[in-house]
Amino acid sequence: MRRQAFALLSLLAPLAGVWAAPYVPRSDAQVLADLPAGARHASVATRELTRTRLDIALPLAQFYIARARATGDLRFLGYAEAILTPWMNRPEVPTAVLVLHATVLQSRHLFDASLSELERALAQDPTDAQAWLTRATVLRVLGRYAEANAACGHLAATADPAITTLCVQGLHGLTGHLPGAYAAIMALPQQALPPEARAWRYSELGEMAERLGDDRAAEHWLREGLAVAPDDFYMRAACADVLLRQRRAPEALQLLAGYESMEPMLLRIAIAQRMLRDRGSVRTNDLLSTAFSVEQQRGDAVHRREQARFLLDVSWQPAAALAAAQQNWQVQREPEDLLILLRAAQAARAPAAAAPAREFLRRNQLQDARLASLGVSP
Amino acid sequence: MRRLWLLLLLGLGGVAQAHIASNGFLVARVQGPEISGSLELAVRDVELAIGVDANHDGKVTWGELRASQPQLLRYVGQHLGFLAQGGACTVQLGALQVNDRVDGSYAWLPLSAHCPSAVQRLSIRYSLMADIDPSHRGLLTLTAGELAQTGVLGAAGNADFEVYSPSAWRTLLDYLRAGIWHIWSGIDHLLFLISLLLPAVLIRRGRRWEPVTQARPAVFSILKVVTAFTLAHSITLTLAALDVVRLPSRLTESVIAASIIVAALNNVFPVVTDSRARIAFAFGLLHGFGFASVLADMGLPSGARLLSLLSFNLGIETGQLAVVLAVMPVVYALRATLLYRRAVLPWGSAVIAVIALVWLLQRALPPMV
Repeated sequence: MRRQAFALLSLLAPLAGVWAAPYVPRSDAQVLADLPAGARHASVATRELTRTRLDIALPLAQFYIARARATGDLRFLGYAEAILTPWMNRPEVPTAVLVLHATVLQSRHLFDASLSELERALAQDPTDAQAWLTRATVLRVLGRYAEANAACGHLAATADPAITTLCVQGLHGLTGHLPGAYAAIMALPQQALPPEARAWRYSELGEMAERLGDDRAAEHWLREGLAVAPDDFYMRAACADVLLRQRRAPEALQLLAGYESMEPMLLRIAIAQRMLRDRGSVRTNDLLSTAFSVEQQRGDAVHRREQARFLLDVSWQPAAALAAAQQNWQVQREPEDLLILLRAAQAARAPAAAAPAREFLRRNQLQDARLASLGVSP
Repeated sequence: MRRLWLLLLLGLGGVAQAHIASNGFLVARVQGPEISGSLELAVRDVELAIGVDANHDGKVTWGELRASQPQLLRYVGQHLGFLAQGGACTVQLGALQVNDRVDGSYAWLPLSAHCPSAVQRLSIRYSLMADIDPSHRGLLTLTAGELAQTGVLGAAGNADFEVYSPSAWRTLLDYLRAGIWHIWSGIDHLLFLISLLLPAVLIRRGRRWEPVTQARPAVFSILKVVTAFTLAHSITLTLAALDVVRLPSRLTESVIAASIIVAALNNVFPVVTDSRARIAFAFGLLHGFGFASVLADMGLPSGARLLSLLSFNLGIETGQLAVVLAVMPVVYALRATLLYRRAVLPWGSAVIAVIALVWLLQRALPPMV
């Protein structure tokens, strides 16, 4: 019996982070959970309505997706999916439902499934700008730049010209025309842009400046972008990376304060705490490894990139980092993914493992100053 | 993943919440026809499923959760079931408690089930949260005797598990292979060992190396070094794998690199010439921690920790022995040549030292982000 208990304990310990035994709270007043808006039982009644009313289902699903993006809370994606499911099961699925479902799927990194939903949506309505934009985004994440470029082209007919420019130039910046694309996006007049494109422009400029090796400019663009869209955690994470590269860990921590609930943010906090030899790192690392191990048991790959970086930059397990980076490369192929794969292969002294990344780099003529410091060039 | 730009996005501020997807944790221990264990659901999920927040203040208190216990038991009873090969098992849920996990508080229910006959094949029906959050999953830990397995529940239909799988042999083979493979791919351990073995076929007289005249002292010297290294790394591998001692892996990796430098430089500028076994033992202790980190990456099956640990270690020794058997006869044959004493030993060692120095720098310096 004791042996069994021991075996069980050792198995659950990584899942629970710190082993804590169940207990009976002393006071009835002890608060066990703060419920975020939209996550209360009362909302289930509204959800019942969404089974028959598309005019309620669409905005509610959109609301949950927006919540998931703003908070990094993956449960909201599940709520959105629950609303879309009955509509997905109908013989004729409304185009807007397909597009939202594709959005949920891409947020879960189920890119192939997302693409096939978009194909269905575009077959029904070839002028759906959001569907083309989502398709361009997914293809870009997959490194299929030519197809992504074609999808951007379809935007021209229906979307604001600035959106098309951002879409197309963003890809040019990844395929050997970085300085030109940077200039083209810089030339877009900020004030004249539709509101949803302003943060996008800053984000694109920030990432491009990083790849050009100009961290000062990158920080400038990303901070401007955060002033417009403080909830954009991609820009916040990118800005933290720029600071960490310059070993400005205290500023990075300041930037990330209040965003501890998102794994990409928590990862950067862990790296900053390492640099500062901060005591808080024990708990941060615990939180992260728990999250990763639970994700792994579930079979999800949403944060494989972060996991690889955690294993490389925080807990220093090069072999495990390489394995995670290779799995991640099977799922997504952005410059960040390329970088972590090359670095992990180098750290694990397995240059052959980086061959697919080198081939990708050569084929696309991807320019990235961060790669140069690894001794890699297209 | 890159941000997807939505053309019609509502501007929403956000309060940060839990960052882990919705999971329930089901623990089931099977003993004959009896199952015992526990089920945990996040308090947030319980609220969504049955409505706990009686005063609608956006907070769930222990008092509110406790008051909802009957509904919770009914809900779990409807959505969780065990089916053994002889038919359905009757499930009993015990008194509610709370478990604090890193992502928030969970409602914890002790659980027991009685099945018609000794369980060999267990089918678990798990539809908790399915209609509210289709991405919810039940993470299962199923133990029977010494064997533990994990599973994911709730994706689709029932999940079936073989309870008595004779996987001990499989485990042994898997870990044996991992051990052998690691000594082959873990070139740092090999370089360390080779650095210590290169001079084993020579004797230091004054300021010169001279070849041994007989095989016996050479074999004996090799045996001493290999045994000392094996003994030392087995000790620390065991301690680390069983979580008795834990060292930061960056530290052990760095010291392992340093140990190679020391062993290699000792061949170029000999300081310790007659008791290399001591060096092998002292640094072997650290190499054990290096092996342990590989094992930590693989994970030890909780039901068969000792077996897998033993197999892994046996694998390492096998791989090591293969290297010694391949390298040492060649070295022995070459021992009398000037090439070996003047070039292979000093310059080969110097090259090893330089390689190890590069590793040391890579491992000891903080990461470039």
